[in-house]
Amino acid sequence: MNAAVTQTGNTLNCQVAVIGSGMAGMAAAIFAANRGLSVVQVGKPSEISFSSGCLDLFSTIPGETLRSFDNPFEGIDVLTAEQPCHPYAKVSRDEIVQGFEEFTAFMNAAGIRYHCTPQSNQKIVTPAGTLKSSWCVPSAMYAGTRALAEKKRILIVDIRGLKGFGARQMAQNLKAAHPCMGSITVEFPGREKSGDLMCERLTWDLEAPDVLKRFIKVLRPHVAGYDAIGLPAILGIYRFEELRTKMEKALGTTVFEIPTLAPSVTGLRTKEAYIGHLGNTSVRHFPVSVKDIQTGKNGGFCFEVTEGFQNFEVNAERMILATGRFLGKGLGVNDTGAIREMLFDLPVVQTGHRSQWFDRDFFNKKGHAVNRAGLETDVVFRPLGRDKKPFAEGLYAAGSVLAHQDWKREKSGAGISIVSAYKAVAHLAETL
Amino acid sequence: MLVIGGGATGTGVARDLALRGIDCILIDQKDINSGASGANHGLLHSGARYVFKDGEAAAECHRENQLLKRLAPHCIEDTGGLFVAVEKDDDDYVARFPELCRKFGIPVADLTPEAARQIEPCLAKDLKAAFAVQDAVIDPFMLSLDNAADAMANGATVLRNVRLTGFDTDNGKILAARVEHRRTGKPFTISAGQFVNATGAWANSVATMAGANISMSYSKGSLLITQTRINERVINRLRPASDADILVPGGTVSIIGTTSLEIDNLDDIRPTTAEVDAIIREGADMVPELARARYIRAYAGVRPLVRDLAGTSGSGGRSISRNYTLKTHSEDNIENLVTITGGKLTTFRLMAQKAADIVAKRMGNTKPCLTDKEHLPASAKGEWTEPGKSPRVWMSNPERRDTLICECEMVSEYMVDEIVRSLKDEGAQPTLEEIGRRSRIGKGPCQGTFCSFRLAAYLYRKGELIDDQGMDQVRDFVNGRWKGFRPLVRDRELMRVELQESFLCALFGMEED
Repeated sequence: MNAAVTQTGNTLNCQVAVIGSGMAGMAAAIFAANRGLSVVQVGKPSEISFSSGCLDLFSTIPGETLRSFDNPFEGIDVLTAEQPCHPYAKVSRDEIVQGFEEFTAFMNAAGIRYHCTPQSNQKIVTPAGTLKSSWCVPSAMYAGTRALAEKKRILIVDIRGLKGFGARQMAQNLKAAHPCMGSITVEFPGREKSGDLMCERLTWDLEAPDVLKRFIKVLRPHVAGYDAIGLPAILGIYRFEELRTKMEKALGTTVFEIPTLAPSVTGLRTKEAYIGHLGNTSVRHFPVSVKDIQTGKNGGFCFEVTEGFQNFEVNAERMILATGRFLGKGLGVNDTGAIREMLFDLPVVQTGHRSQWFDRDFFNKKGHAVNRAGLETDVVFRPLGRDKKPFAEGLYAAGSVLAHQDWKREKSGAGISIVSAYKAVAHLAETL
Repeated sequence: MLVIGGGATGTGVARDLALRGIDCILIDQKDINSGASGANHGLLHSGARYVFKDGEAAAECHRENQLLKRLAPHCIEDTGGLFVAVEKDDDDYVARFPELCRKFGIPVADLTPEAARQIEPCLAKDLKAAFAVQDAVIDPFMLSLDNAADAMANGATVLRNVRLTGFDTDNGKILAARVEHRRTGKPFTISAGQFVNATGAWANSVATMAGANISMSYSKGSLLITQTRINERVINRLRPASDADILVPGGTVSIIGTTSLEIDNLDDIRPTTAEVDAIIREGADMVPELARARYIRAYAGVRPLVRDLAGTSGSGGRSISRNYTLKTHSEDNIENLVTITGGKLTTFRLMAQKAADIVAKRMGNTKPCLTDKEHLPASAKGEWTEPGKSPRVWMSNPERRDTLICECEMVSEYMVDEIVRSLKDEGAQPTLEEIGRRSRIGKGPCQGTFCSFRLAAYLYRKGELIDDQGMDQVRDFVNGRWKGFRPLVRDRELMRVELQESFLCALFGMEED
């Protein structure tokens, strides 16, 4: 039986409060709702618009040399043997698989289909002309993954005025591995006179059937001799599957998408699909940030949120911090120059004086020390207090705020978020 | 003639020689102004700073200051300057300042502290003395690029990325310079009658190749760029030279510096966290808001200091003369080499003239120097370094379909095309860093997070980059900016680095080979 958030006057009572609306926050809210718990989620879902749309699990161990793994689980086994403090060392393979299954099932129902090969990462083309490894790839990109693997003749298309997406750059960088790759630049219909084009704007344009038809007409003369066409990810925010299918039919080729720089449409799609599907759950979502949280009676938590002109007091029995790192403002710096956790001032694993935070070489293969700062937790992801015991019985942390990981270098961002949220929710559900 | 070194002095020598009708080639191991000429305050001294230690150098600065304001006004923002003392500064030192200025002919005007704070409200409340002087701001990139352009217009050749590896000599005479192209490693030789060594901090390495020796020391100076412009005039601290004494406005920013650290190695010059902290702490005594200001970037340059001159006693970089050194190398028995090093940006023209006088005379050319009479023409090479020019040009052409590559500084594809064309005139394929040096790209608050990559994509589209060249160039560009940002990261800056690493590493995997 699903519990609902109860309201008395301006007071909301729930079992679980999720602080944060990024990947970890979304996952935590989904898992809690699936377990029949009442959930209030707060947080501005802004960072998700930086997402590539893929769900990375794991591919690389940073170090003097990079060790990359086709099979993410093989990589995680080596990683956790060497780094017993890593968040992945707190979870089993079954928990990883179950977490991903549950998360992708929700997103599937919300309209985003992922393709996943259980024992192997997949490669997607990036705008830099590199190949990125990821575990779960949305269908619009997966078409490109297949075209690459099958050595199809691929045409990459860019749009004049759309910055940071160069078809020729991709084709030139990939030509050693994929000699049959062509590139062209086209004008976007109706935007021929504009100097600066933004992905999101073009995406809204393409939702209009007339613009889609004209875009297909622009592309048609160039596709002869190619099996697959790679486009920047602009094929719709809501009806992306439909638009892509229409284009494939009209052009007689495979059509796939390549993620773009932020703000990315792929990230926006994830957010829109998630928010759109929340209506079917027990989650009450407030797209606002929270500053002050009180720990109250019976080990619960209390904070205020604003919706429109209305203030609510939220009482929650359990809380999950999915507040992210510096960009998400889960972490910051205090007056003495130490890294701090922003809501409870929880102890943070430090990485030395700020002169030691970063390496001189931005691209140093070992990664930057500061990226491993964060929250220390117990085995069920409850952050520890200064006495090395859980700071509060009902407080959990998930995602990039955790210490001892470097998701940007490991390519483990979505994985750490989903898996830590999964384990935390599984535990708190047992205690309620 | 061969001029080695493409800083202010080297480009000045090339122009001077070209105007005398002398054929010359200029080479630089990297690019125009890639040494100290591109890493200083951009201050055109009034001379007042030197009245305590070197009256002659002070007077020289004053003369060159007046000359350049007349002959190269487009490179100069004639802001005027202030010398100010705060409560803790030495009264005696302050009292001697105006009389010394007058003694050496440096115009100076007394101001009350109140008047000074009215002109510059950013000044500290405990100001106790203030003087107005004729300091100004000079764009060192535009200056050197325009000098190079005018040299080329008068027949000179400029070669970037050409590194000197040695000389072919015969009995005290240099026959040719052995060089190699830095990118391709391709060796070749350049024969010339006379050789000018204008390599700044590298002067001794070059002299050594010719069998001479110059006793030099190196002083690293670091500076910080603020996100907004704090002051209208140049502000100098009136005290014996120390850290963070000068705040120079420039375009939309202000620059505070410098430090002075003796170093032995010229290979890896970069500002450190400790220097950044010292600059902010000291600078805030004079201009308190420096303690809270946001900074875009730090950078460091090396002052070449020659020990042969007077003033070698004492320790540290500041006690050695800032005046220039001219060596004819007759004592080394080399008949056709001249070294010109040390000195200041303000006196670059005079230094160039002195060196050119000697080699021209040796060649039997008796034409007079023209750089003290002829205007320095503004050129297409230097025009895009000016802050505010790109937005002006872009905004005034609203109908043009001109995409902005750098949104912070509003540098568009059209401007990149212009810069690429002028670089290709010099006979070599442009790199991202070279385009960055000639424009405002990467100089705004994003420091290359987005624009380096956009620029690469655009250059690929235009066929100016092929294969995987662009990836290495983006790495170099990002690391060049990172060098200046890393020591500044303290709190909010962490967000920007996180964002940048998310793109470049999490998405693109650019840390991979």
